[in-house]
Amino acid sequence: MPHSLGHLSSPRAISATRRDFLRGTIGALSMASMPRSLTAQTSLLRTAQKTILVTFGGGARDEETFAEEGQENIPNLLHTLLPQGTFFSQVINAGILGHYVATASIVTGSYERFDNFIAQAPPNPTLFEYYRKGLRRPATDTWVIAPSNGFQRIGSSSHKNFGPEYGAGVILPKRLLAAALHDNKATDGEALSHLLQDSYEMPEYQPLQSGMDRELHLDMLESSLRLSVQDFVQKARSLDSADELSIYITRQLMKQQAPSLMMLTLHDMDIAHSGSYSLYVDAIQRADRLCAELWNMVQTDPEYKDRTTLYIMPDFGRDADNDPAGNGFQHHRTGGAMARTTWMLALGPHLRQNTIVDHPIESIDLVPTIGSYLGFETASTGKVIRELL
Amino acid sequence: MTPDQLVASSFNGYPAAARRFAVEHLSLLQRLPLVVCPSFLQQIQNLDTSFPAEKESLRWQCDALQKLAPERYSALASPLAALSVSPSLQSLDWVQSPASFIPELTAYLWSSGQINQFRLGASALFASVPSREDTTHRLVFVMLGQGAQVESGKVLRKLSKQGVFFSSLKTATALQDIRQAIESHASKASAPYANWYVDGGVISDEIAGKLSNTTAVSYTGLSKLRERVLERMQGAVTLTSSSGGAEQIHTRLTNTSWRDVGASEITSDPVLQRFYTELFTESSGPQIFSTSFVQWTGRELIRRAQPQTLLLRYTPRQSHRDMREMFASATPSSFDPQGSFRDAEMGAYYNWIEMSRIAAPGKLTFMAWVENKPFAVIAGAGAPAGTICATPMSIAEALQNFG
Repeated sequence: MPHSLGHLSSPRAISATRRDFLRGTIGALSMASMPRSLTAQTSLLRTAQKTILVTFGGGARDEETFAEEGQENIPNLLHTLLPQGTFFSQVINAGILGHYVATASIVTGSYERFDNFIAQAPPNPTLFEYYRKGLRRPATDTWVIAPSNGFQRIGSSSHKNFGPEYGAGVILPKRLLAAALHDNKATDGEALSHLLQDSYEMPEYQPLQSGMDRELHLDMLESSLRLSVQDFVQKARSLDSADELSIYITRQLMKQQAPSLMMLTLHDMDIAHSGSYSLYVDAIQRADRLCAELWNMVQTDPEYKDRTTLYIMPDFGRDADNDPAGNGFQHHRTGGAMARTTWMLALGPHLRQNTIVDHPIESIDLVPTIGSYLGFETASTGKVIRELL
Repeated sequence: MTPDQLVASSFNGYPAAARRFAVEHLSLLQRLPLVVCPSFLQQIQNLDTSFPAEKESLRWQCDALQKLAPERYSALASPLAALSVSPSLQSLDWVQSPASFIPELTAYLWSSGQINQFRLGASALFASVPSREDTTHRLVFVMLGQGAQVESGKVLRKLSKQGVFFSSLKTATALQDIRQAIESHASKASAPYANWYVDGGVISDEIAGKLSNTTAVSYTGLSKLRERVLERMQGAVTLTSSSGGAEQIHTRLTNTSWRDVGASEITSDPVLQRFYTELFTESSGPQIFSTSFVQWTGRELIRRAQPQTLLLRYTPRQSHRDMREMFASATPSSFDPQGSFRDAEMGAYYNWIEMSRIAAPGKLTFMAWVENKPFAVIAGAGAPAGTICATPMSIAEALQNFG
């Protein structure tokens, strides 16, 4: 080899590089030197806690986020949110690097092995089912806001002891908008088509199958989100992307249902599959802005302020520039360290601020950690992350 | 079926040259683990329409593996042989249809949690193949940035770390300098498919007019192929409850041959017919974005044809639209020069990485120039990495000093 292209070949090296840049940027202190938030020392009822999990998806690499050259893309994560939270610099995803199956693995706490491209319920129980069954919470207390294709089954598992009876409500904003446009007989449906599209690898938004399907979505719009079709369509006209639509739905859900456990999956950045670096980076910058907007929503909503834990993590990375088996940022097909190693940022009243945790954790560790903190059992194969208790 | 059951007659359905090659290397093929054997067969099957450099590489690789001492080979192959392959996969006809088998195998390796072991095992096996002696000097030009607003401090940042960044280039003779450098270099490389010019728009007469011995290909020139591939993609994208759109697209494109898309209307050369077709059937992005086309074509040329002279010209891609619209219409309604410039900067960086893989040490001159602007980078043996040159000079002078 005429040039050395072998840097960042291991998760440890990736983490160390990310950590070094962050230390230089925010001057973060060590874990041991930081006091816990005073708020966390008060005895809060765990069931009164709110939990929001955001997947910074689909697929973001270090180079475009927390590595030196990527930091310009995430000013909000870096300068607004990170100082308020605990940052894990080495989150390993040892499973299948497909968006649906990887996200399902995060919410079941077990590496799922099913076909990424088939819409199916995960075989292992989800966080939502553990939570609702363990704490006897109502159906309206857990929600997932997700991109359309495949994700419609992520709210509950096919496990015989759990299932839809304990599952989360799943809102697919794009389907909701398609139903609303159909009902509204909107003449500008084409103008809003950019909010309906999926990624390059899932290009075709699945048309609603039936009138009943549309009715169900319209019913959800009015009963769960308290939105008229007209208002929803009107709002959609002001939005630029599917991720913005998801944040708008999240805001509406927080106002109307104030659920205690929510998951939001961002997905715009998967446009990277088209090979357009600029569109990929634009989507990362948008996701960065939307994460800050979400945290601001939490802080300004009395139902959520000072009682909400927000977890932000990519579902996985993307292939390394120097991996000959891939084509850099475009895909996540090689299974290399760069695609498997990501980060997590956790913010909440019980968590340390401005703190970096270096030791490796896995993406499946979050479910047992949330279970342990909120007080319900899980059968996850992940380990509890002690820094988050 | 497993590889140890292969016999000479297993390849009766292969084209003549492929059959000869397979029989010649039968003892190797019989010993290869099932997880890698079909990849070799796929390359062998396509020998008739492969570039000369591909044929040489495959022969070099197979000869080297065949000559490995049995103990050494066994040590390298055993981790791959230890990977489990399901009976249903084994029952597929991977000898006659390796191209259909490989995606199935890949999915299985992922779902069975064996992809990491496969990566490690395959890397170790191929690392045992010694490098070929290569004294070829390779020259690459990348032109990018048409119509974009460019700031000096933010241009070509990744490539600048690899060589000399020019901030005050004189551009009056730029095209002429590039053409002359290519012409001179290409004249020393008479082998077929050794010299290439790829354009994201239309072929520039100003550049190509005087280039003999160079294959020129453009996004516009391949538009018929592209439109036909897009038509096939459109027919496969609707997600159903039982199968995914992405897999359907992939399967449909994998099964698309140069005959299906009428590549013979573009060229009578069967090597190019297959190459041009696969630029659109084995990729994501070139079907809709010219920037992706140039990057991917450069990558595939470097990997397969191993050119000695290469000119890649990025042009503005269409503006981002709804994916369905872009699939439905090959004709763009507007262009995005600014986004295209950022795409091309990354594409040029990837082109440099790819070329660095195949070039012998000290035998690559790589230049990227922002069209009609005084900004460029030269990476190569004579260009100290991370250096800035603010002295006004022409491209010819820059190449003379740092190329």
